[in-house]
Order: sequence, then C-alpha cells, then structure tokens
Amino acid sequence: MTSSPSLPFGDPSTRRKTVRAKSVTVSELTTQIRSLLESEIAEVWVEGEIANSRLWKTGHLYFTLRDGQAQLKGVMFRSARRYLRFTPEDGLRIVARGRVTVYEPKGEYQIVCEHMQPHGQGALQVAFDQLKRRLENEGLFAAERKRALPLLPRQIGIATSLDGAALRDILQVLARRHPTAHLVIRPTRVQGEGAATQIAQAVSQLSELDGVDVVIVGRGGGAIEDLWAFNEESVARAIAAATVPIISAVGHEIDITISDLVADVRAPTPSAAAEIVVAGRQELITRVDRLAARLTGCARATLQRHRTRVLEMERRPGLAGWPARLALRGRRTAELTHALTRLMRATIITRERRLRTTRLGLETHEPGRRLHAAHTRLVRVHERLRRSLDRQREGLRAKLADATGRLEALSPLGVLARGYAVCWHEDGNGRTIVRNADAVALGDDLSITLHRGRLTAAVTRKE
Amino acid sequence: MSDNISDFESAVGELETIVKNLESGELSLEESLQLFERGVQLSRFCHGRLEDAERRIELLTDRGDRTAAPNALMPATPSAASTNDDEL
Repeated sequence: MTSSPSLPFGDPSTRRKTVRAKSVTVSELTTQIRSLLESEIAEVWVEGEIANSRLWKTGHLYFTLRDGQAQLKGVMFRSARRYLRFTPEDGLRIVARGRVTVYEPKGEYQIVCEHMQPHGQGALQVAFDQLKRRLENEGLFAAERKRALPLLPRQIGIATSLDGAALRDILQVLARRHPTAHLVIRPTRVQGEGAATQIAQAVSQLSELDGVDVVIVGRGGGAIEDLWAFNEESVARAIAAATVPIISAVGHEIDITISDLVADVRAPTPSAAAEIVVAGRQELITRVDRLAARLTGCARATLQRHRTRVLEMERRPGLAGWPARLALRGRRTAELTHALTRLMRATIITRERRLRTTRLGLETHEPGRRLHAAHTRLVRVHERLRRSLDRQREGLRAKLADATGRLEALSPLGVLARGYAVCWHEDGNGRTIVRNADAVALGDDLSITLHRGRLTAAVTRKE
Repeated sequence: MSDNISDFESAVGELETIVKNLESGELSLEESLQLFERGVQLSRFCHGRLEDAERRIELLTDRGDRTAAPNALMPATPSAASTNDDEL
C-alpha cells in the first residue's frame, strides 16, 4: 500500500532513507520526470507573451512564453504551425494549447504547442494587422504606386465567382451604363480552401491578357472569414505585380481588405466598381458632346457675322451697286459721276501733295524733340483732312443723288414709255412742239416722237 | 477621312483647340470653315470610338483560353418575342 516506491522524492518521510539506499542515473531520473510531467499535466491551455521567437529552416518555431514572474520554453512544429493565420511574433500575447514535455538531451521542459491564438483579439485581426504593416513598410500601399484607370478601356477583366452577387451586380450596372463593353470574366473561388491562390492567378492572367486594360477583382459581402482570401499575401502580391490597373471591390462599404489597400482603386462595392470603370467613358461622352455643340455654335456665329457684314456693305450707297445702276441712267449722269470722281481724286491729290509738303517742311525745319508734337499734330491734321474729305464726298454724293432723281423725273423718255407721244411741227421759224391745234393747218406735215421711233403724219382734220 | 487622327486622346485635344480658336472670333471666313470641317471630322471620330464596340462577354479558362460566356450571364434585354403566350 505504499505510494510510488519508484519515485524516491515522492514522500517526505522516506526521502532520507532512499537517497542513502539507492541512486539513479541522470537519464533514468529525466525519463521519470518526463513521464511524470506528461501524465500529470497532459494537455493544457497556457497564456503568456511570446519572446525570443525563432523560425527554423525546418519550419519549426521555437520561442519562450512568459509573464511577469516566470517563463516557459515552447515549440510549435511545422505540421501545426502551417495552420496558423497570423505570425507568432515577439511581444504578442497568446493563448497556446499543448502538452508539457521534457527535452531530455538538455534537461529542459517545454510546451509543445498544437494550436495558438492571440489573446484578447481574433487571429484574423492580428494576421490582418501584421500583413498590413509588412506590406505598408514595403511601400505597396503608397499613393504614387496607384495607376490611373484608362478612360476608355478596350476590355474589362473581372475576377470573381461565376455565381456570386458581385458578378450579377457588375453585369447589371455595365448593361445600363456601357452596353457595348467587352468583358472577360475569369471565374474563381472567392472563399474557402484554395481561394486565395485562384484569385491571385486570375488577377495575373487577366492583367496579362491582350486587350484587357483594367481588372475588377472582388466578391459580395460576407463575414470576415468569408472575405479572408482577399487578405492573403498571395492575392496582395498578384495585385501589386499586375501590369494593368486593378480595381478591388470586396464586400460592403465597411469591409476593408488588404486587396483593397494594394489595388490601384478601391471600390466600396462591386456595383461601384462597375460605375467607376465606365465613369471615364461617360466623362468623355459629355466632353465630346459639349465640344461638338460649341463647334456648331461657333460655325453658326461666324457665318452670321460674315453674312451681316456682306449685307451691310451691299446696303451702303456708292459702293458695289453704283456702276451698274449708273450705266442705266443718262449720259449726263455718267458725266456728272465722272466729274465727281475726277474732282474727288484731284482734291485728294492736292491735299496729299500739300500734306507731303507740310510734312517735308516739318521734317527739315523742326527736327529733334518737337518732332513728336509735330507728329501728333500731323496726325490730327490728317484726321481733319480725312473728315473734311469725307464730308465733301458725302455732299457730292447727295448732290449726285439729287441730280439723278431730278433727271429721272424730268426725262421725257419716261413719259413716252407710258404711251404719250410728242408732236412736232416744222415751219419757217424752226421746229416747235405742237401744243395747240390752231398752230397747224390742214395738210401740214407733223413729226411724232414715240417711245421707240418717230413718225411723220399729215393733218387731215382739226376739231 | 480620319486617316490623320492618331488616337482618341489627341483627337479630343485637337477638337478643344479648334473650338477655342473658333470662339476667339479672329479668323477669316475661309479659315473658320476649314477649322469647322476639321472639327466635325474629329467629333465624328470621337463619337465613333465611343460607340463602336459591340457587347461581348467572354470567359477565361484557367488554361488561359477565351470562350464565349453562357447566355445566362448576358443580362436580359427587352425582347419583342415575349408576348406569345396569350394565344387562345
């Protein structure tokens, strides 16, 4: 009935006796310690802060767990470590599940961890923060890395699930906003095992495809676990390495993923991504429409302006219409015009000659400083001269118009054209117009001027 | 006619310059008309480029081949042949 005779330190009452009675080797003792620990403690959850963590080439992770008073060596083998989503780093507070054991060659006890999770926050949150910090330090989120979207993409690549809400939303928006868009869809899983690898592959494939100028990658809303693929490093790397601009559209407005941060443009939702990708085209359409409208406006205004000018010139007297009109009027009128022109020319020549003489005199007699004042005066004189010429020309023109008018009113030709005739009688005193029947005798010859031609008639009756 | 228009961007740029010149109103009628004709040509080109594609949806396989997308993916277009079931 004695307890554990094989454990010499087990019972204080037997300690002295057994030490004297028998000794054991280090190995034996260590083995005993090990089996005692392993059977007594078995599986345990332990909480502490990681220190001295070191990842070996074999994939095993060695570290120390500690709190204020004590520390405990720990190891996590590769087989367990690869399921971790976050990286156990120094300073991180964790809760680890494992078995306590003894590493006999060194005589050290340690915990062999099967699983660990951050203390006080989710593993995913920690993983997110860690990857975010790392990529940020690499400069992958930098504003100057962001590429501008093409205004007029030839083909739009879409990496998402074929039966997800995201694709449905994108197609709906594009059907409305850009019905002739050319789309290339690369179907991928967007959650679960292998999703990240597929998404990353889809992004690189699409970005290298001939004709594709922009790629939308994303999925509809879901729990943070569902969106997780878009927080994986492989996806982030594929987006960063893409040769065309990438629009990331993951979940709802409030969900921000690593993919969103690396992408050239983050769209709050897949529908928004579709709107963004066609916004450039809308803008161009508006711009071209406005320009076309302005162009038409300009053309209309220009034509109108020139037409008005031509009309004005036509209406001005003494210009284009004159020669033709003058030719129709009497010789006197033509002569008058001739005289007028000659007079005008002569006047101009005389004035010009005087002006030249004046200027010459001015230049010889008044050189130097006064020249400027003289020049101003000259300009003024010239201006007065021009004005007086204009006035004279206007006066002459008015006279001419008056003369022409009167000439026309007086012209007998006008009366004859209406059917009247002029009757002439020739006797010893010369040729007179017959105004009274008593002025002629029966049998006299009369000459009658008609509108066209002339008649000779004899008087056969008088009344 | 549009042989000397290189690309969309430069076409829009040239169109903008032309409109500005025309709006300045300092050109002769002849020059204005020439610019106007060029402007019309450019704006036709731009509209053409904005509208010319026809709708296409393709799927990209994981081997990198393009295939036509199943009809299920084509958003419903208002079709005229949907009122056939009211025959008595």
